[in-house]
Amino acid sequence: MENRSTKPTSVSRRGFLKMLGGVGLAGIAANIAGCSTDPAGGKGWMPQQYQVASSWPIQVKGRVPIDPNNPSIVRDDKKCILCGQCIEACEKVQTVMGYYELPIKDDITCVNCGQCTLWCPTGAITERDDIDKVLKAINDKNLHVVVQTAPATRVALGEEFGMPAGSIVEGKQVAALKKLGFDAVFDTNFTADLTIMEEGTELVKRITGELKKPLPQFTSCSPGWVKFCEYFYPDLLEHMSSAKSPQQMMGAVVKSYYAKQKGIDPEKIFSVSIMPCTAKKYECQRPEMNDAGQKAGKPNIRDVDVVLTTRELARMIKRAGINFNELEDAQYDSMLGEGTGAAVIFGTTGGVMEAAVRSAYFLITKQNPPEALLELTPVRGLNGVKEASLEIPGAGKINVAVCSGLGNARKILDQVREDIKQGLPPRYHFIEFMSCPGGCIGGGGQPRTALPPSDAVRQARLASLYTMDAKIYKKRLSHENQEVIQIYQNYFEHPMSELAEELLHTEYTDRGKHLTAKKKA
Amino acid sequence: MAKGVLVDLTKCVGCGGCTVACKLWNDMKFDDNNPTVGDKAKLSGKNWTVVHAHQVKNKDGETVWRFNKQQCLHCLEPACASACFAKALQKTKDGPVIYYPHLCVGCRYCMIACPFNIPKYEWDKTFPLVSKCQMCSTKIARGEAPACVSVCPQGVFKFGERDELLKEAKAIIAKDDKYIKEIYGEKEVGGTSWMYISDIPFKDLGFKTGLGTTPLPTYSHNFLRYTPFVAVGWGIILTGLYHYTKRRNTISKETNIKG
Repeated sequence: MENRSTKPTSVSRRGFLKMLGGVGLAGIAANIAGCSTDPAGGKGWMPQQYQVASSWPIQVKGRVPIDPNNPSIVRDDKKCILCGQCIEACEKVQTVMGYYELPIKDDITCVNCGQCTLWCPTGAITERDDIDKVLKAINDKNLHVVVQTAPATRVALGEEFGMPAGSIVEGKQVAALKKLGFDAVFDTNFTADLTIMEEGTELVKRITGELKKPLPQFTSCSPGWVKFCEYFYPDLLEHMSSAKSPQQMMGAVVKSYYAKQKGIDPEKIFSVSIMPCTAKKYECQRPEMNDAGQKAGKPNIRDVDVVLTTRELARMIKRAGINFNELEDAQYDSMLGEGTGAAVIFGTTGGVMEAAVRSAYFLITKQNPPEALLELTPVRGLNGVKEASLEIPGAGKINVAVCSGLGNARKILDQVREDIKQGLPPRYHFIEFMSCPGGCIGGGGQPRTALPPSDAVRQARLASLYTMDAKIYKKRLSHENQEVIQIYQNYFEHPMSELAEELLHTEYTDRGKHLTAKKKA
Repeated sequence: MAKGVLVDLTKCVGCGGCTVACKLWNDMKFDDNNPTVGDKAKLSGKNWTVVHAHQVKNKDGETVWRFNKQQCLHCLEPACASACFAKALQKTKDGPVIYYPHLCVGCRYCMIACPFNIPKYEWDKTFPLVSKCQMCSTKIARGEAPACVSVCPQGVFKFGERDELLKEAKAIIAKDDKYIKEIYGEKEVGGTSWMYISDIPFKDLGFKTGLGTTPLPTYSHNFLRYTPFVAVGWGIILTGLYHYTKRRNTISKETNIKG
């Protein structure tokens, strides 16, 4: 055995210094040679061009506040260059920032519309990324993962893969979703048709006086618009249709009707939606959006679990290495997969109105509308505020208005408020509101094809939706959707039945107490 | 004349644009461990300014959100500068208290001296320095406002002559009932270049209160003025002792040899 008591060999001072010097030199050499433990490659997006010394750029204008807990959008400070484009979208287009008195109360006022994400030139503001939640669910063998796609994503998704603006990629989108591993792919068009049945019935009941709610009726499909009304015009909330948005109707139907028909435990269903919208991420988290769960006695079950934007779906497809442009068209799954031309135009401004009018005509007259009413041109196009007036036998003259972009909504809302104040009869029966300019085709979750968002791109997407309505879809009337007829026969009985009220309708929250709206906006 | 900034906390919506402006102008890196905005916002070697979010009760007992922008207050008589024997911290005639890294010896007395706990040490660096807001002194020298001030979309800040800002602040809080009748920075430790008005008591927003109105250098100057005498006197004493012991050793050696 080694003799541990032996004295260690002594190190001379010279030897010690030489050793230290050697170690030091080796360290410096390693550092210079780049022998760090970090992996090779970049560390993220760096706005290098702004990190050089120069005078203060004149175009620096600040930015909008974003709550770190905002369910829809997030901002990366490292990419923000304070260009003020988000303010442009929020203040000038959507009239949210700057329309409340300071000091603020207990909320960072945001309608979650995501228009700022479309305007941000550096991509600092983006949707909150929920892709991982969806991938986790897909990989969980115990879960039945269903997905629904909004009308407007099918005319925009292709732009992320180099196709021209407005390319129709409905079949490819379905094929991609099936390849990604979703168990069932449904079409939000189905519930858009269902929305028309519910909302149209409600409108007819308001007009005939059967329902004791005031006219005009406001549409309720755009969650950004709904929150805007809750913030700035809570006194007009009784005008809002109680019908849920198509996304939430689909969520509730999937975890009740579909679950029952298929014999699947609603708890084992994971419901995803692909939307052109960032506000939908917020909408699915609204506490009251758990009607299917309430019905099953398990209020923890959400009607829609995760919402992905069109951009997120594109990212998912790219990440999975799917060659989107080469995909063969696939079909939506049955039971909740049929849609009509009336539903597909939900994706653009004026579409909900036109679809509603087509079915309202049927609900009042029990006859299909004449051909002329299928092209309601005054409510088409990208104008911010549009009006139309039409004759429906038995109901007389129906006046409608359509606005998109919340700045335009204010014009109509202030007028409605003023008319009520002066005791004047309502000048409209039905008003469609969409939060984003152009409607969902210009939604905050759509591909950033032009910066800032341009009308040329919106026009191309809009035209494609009308082409689908007129030329591609076989049916153009919501009440002719065979699967909608079936769901009423098998489940809901008739529009606005007790069960339909329970699952397909909702109520709204007065958010006026969270801010002091400016008197004269 | 000395410049200053008046901060109206009631106008802040917490966008944090000022914190990004600071990074862009000063080429500061982002601090992954300490956010610049929110309830966990924290000043650090990389964060010269942060916007701290507070949930507080207002006069009517309602819970409200308020934001407090923190950065160096640039005292009229800075304790950090008086504590720095290397003159690495200096107050300019324009108002900013500037840090000169080439003079710094790294003693960190400034960090102990600062009543607002502002200067931070670059712990993560091999050759660390002290780090704090410079009030964009190079911008001010050109007559421009600091970067954070020039970017605020809500008009929270006003940059100008300190004396005039003080008058204006007094007029604002006298006229409007929502404000508390106090200007933070008017008198604190002798006054600061940054001044705040608010509708919520400052102590609820994380401000250090009860600091007194006496400039801190007054205390240190009372004995620090003896520093040259102490330094020279100590040198004389030590030299004297050296010669005394040297002489004693020589005498003792001589005695030993003789003995």
